[in-house]
Amino acid sequence: MDTKKLCLALFSGSVDKLTAAGVILSGAAADDMDVDIYVLMQGARAFRKDIGDNTSKLNMAENAHLKEEFLASLKRLNVKTWVEFFKEAKEITNVRIHICGLAGKIWGGEKLDDFIDLADDIVGIGEYITAATDADMHLFI
Amino acid sequence: MTTEELNNLTLAKTVDARGTACPGPLLEAKKAIGTINSGEIMEVLSADEGTKRDVPKWADKKGHEYLGVIEESGFFRIFLKKN
Repeated sequence: MDTKKLCLALFSGSVDKLTAAGVILSGAAADDMDVDIYVLMQGARAFRKDIGDNTSKLNMAENAHLKEEFLASLKRLNVKTWVEFFKEAKEITNVRIHICGLAGKIWGGEKLDDFIDLADDIVGIGEYITAATDADMHLFI
Repeated sequence: MTTEELNNLTLAKTVDARGTACPGPLLEAKKAIGTINSGEIMEVLSADEGTKRDVPKWADKKGHEYLGVIEESGFFRIFLKKN
């Protein structure tokens, strides 16, 4: 069986969209897909070491007033945090997480060590274009 | 398979994913099937309605055999045979 490739452009730093990305990653992991995630703009802020799962530092891009209800429901339903989803997917299938160099700098991250340890490297946009071109499935979140 | 036949299967593993919402049961099934041998049967317990469709479709895609489901009070028992 051919390994299918998923390319995900993770632009958003919104907690609900990060969670949605994590849920989709779980599906990709169940299918043994090969996944490349390119972390762009506010996505890179969420990957900063001092942010990650710290929901007090994450916004909700749309309907911000629903953030607390959203987080409370996740807790009630025993749903993993977005970082836990990403970590579990990495344990199950081949997931590589690339931080966009520009996005990193915008949020004060110059080197890999500035980001949570799920990040694999810091790259330029050319790699994203190549991965998106080669992928069987491409998503922009 | 009938409910009686499903109830009489010899199970190599039971995965209790009732404490998780989607995608928890799917990932629990994925992890568990890697721990049993080809030809063995496992059941996935889930209280998530979506799992009833999700797990059989996933099993079919991955080449495993979906044997059936039993609806219990408040949860489902989904039976899979590893190929």
